[in-house]
Amino acid sequence: MQLKPIALSILLAISLFIASCQEKKSLPFLGPKDTHLVGGKVDTIYHQIPPFRFLNQDSTWVSEKDMAGKIYIADFFFTSCPTICPKMKTQLLRIYERYSANDQIRILSHSIDPAFDTPSVLKEYADRLQVKAPRWNMLTGDKAAIYKLGEKSYMVTAQEDKNEAGGFVHSGAFILVDKNRHVRGIYDGTQETEVNHLIEDIEILLQEK
Amino acid sequence: MKSILFISLVVLFASCQSKEEIMHQQYVVEGRSIYEKNCANCHQSDGSGLRDLYPALAKTDLWKRVSSQQLVCIIKQGQKGEIKVNGKSYSGYMPANTKLEAIDMAELVTFMKDSWGDKKIYTFDEARAALKNCP
Repeated sequence: MQLKPIALSILLAISLFIASCQEKKSLPFLGPKDTHLVGGKVDTIYHQIPPFRFLNQDSTWVSEKDMAGKIYIADFFFTSCPTICPKMKTQLLRIYERYSANDQIRILSHSIDPAFDTPSVLKEYADRLQVKAPRWNMLTGDKAAIYKLGEKSYMVTAQEDKNEAGGFVHSGAFILVDKNRHVRGIYDGTQETEVNHLIEDIEILLQEK
Repeated sequence: MKSILFISLVVLFASCQSKEEIMHQQYVVEGRSIYEKNCANCHQSDGSGLRDLYPALAKTDLWKRVSSQQLVCIIKQGQKGEIKVNGKSYSGYMPANTKLEAIDMAELVTFMKDSWGDKKIYTFDEARAALKNCP
């Protein structure tokens, strides 16, 4: 049987279509969106991480300005956490090692127990984990500001809970933030397969202009 | 006919010999899942620890230095302050695992000894006695 030219061109069109779909893999913009009119055109304003300022393990201020032009992964933890944090840190170490020579990638680990996790406690923790700022910042500061940032901006839970092992309830999420501080992905940081997915998405973001 | 006799002899022999061995293996299997749930987050599934933060259990001097009885009490009560493993100092803290009962301890310690220690079973009676005598 011979394929007719029409059938052939349909086949070609379909395969082109599929190919173009695969090539144009891009990440969504997560969080509440807003629209407004600019000169008669509708403009979408994506959810953006607001300005912040915290101390890292070297007692250096880290703010949103330090993240300008950087892709970063944010998470919430505390150094005395007996449950999921060690697992999350094991996974973050994979990312840290993988991008150790890439200045575009940062990790921001926020302590949700800042009263205990002072810069010197974070320093000891980071040293023992053998990681360094600015590639991996362990952050502490005003507790209310950290909790608010976690819940309102990174869209994860971070709270005190006396019934929880260690005294805090928090999600094991890793939040992928692009160079303009838009949230582009949220992953379960306790699952190796999810973190593989995160690494794939970092690669996509690195290609973004 | 001969071969049937031979096979049944082998089966009989194997089942006699492994009565204790089967229990040992059951403890190891159960112990592994208790380990995964309660210990592997920090000490890792393969017991390699996490850098200088959490000490390794595999290939360490712990298995010569720490008795099973001491081990049970450390797991049950947790640990604070500086400790040394393979000569390296660690200063974090290990939370208490108050929910683990004698049978869990027997299975858990049997699994750990099987993986990294002297490969002997740690019995329920030993675990129960150890828990009673914790300081």
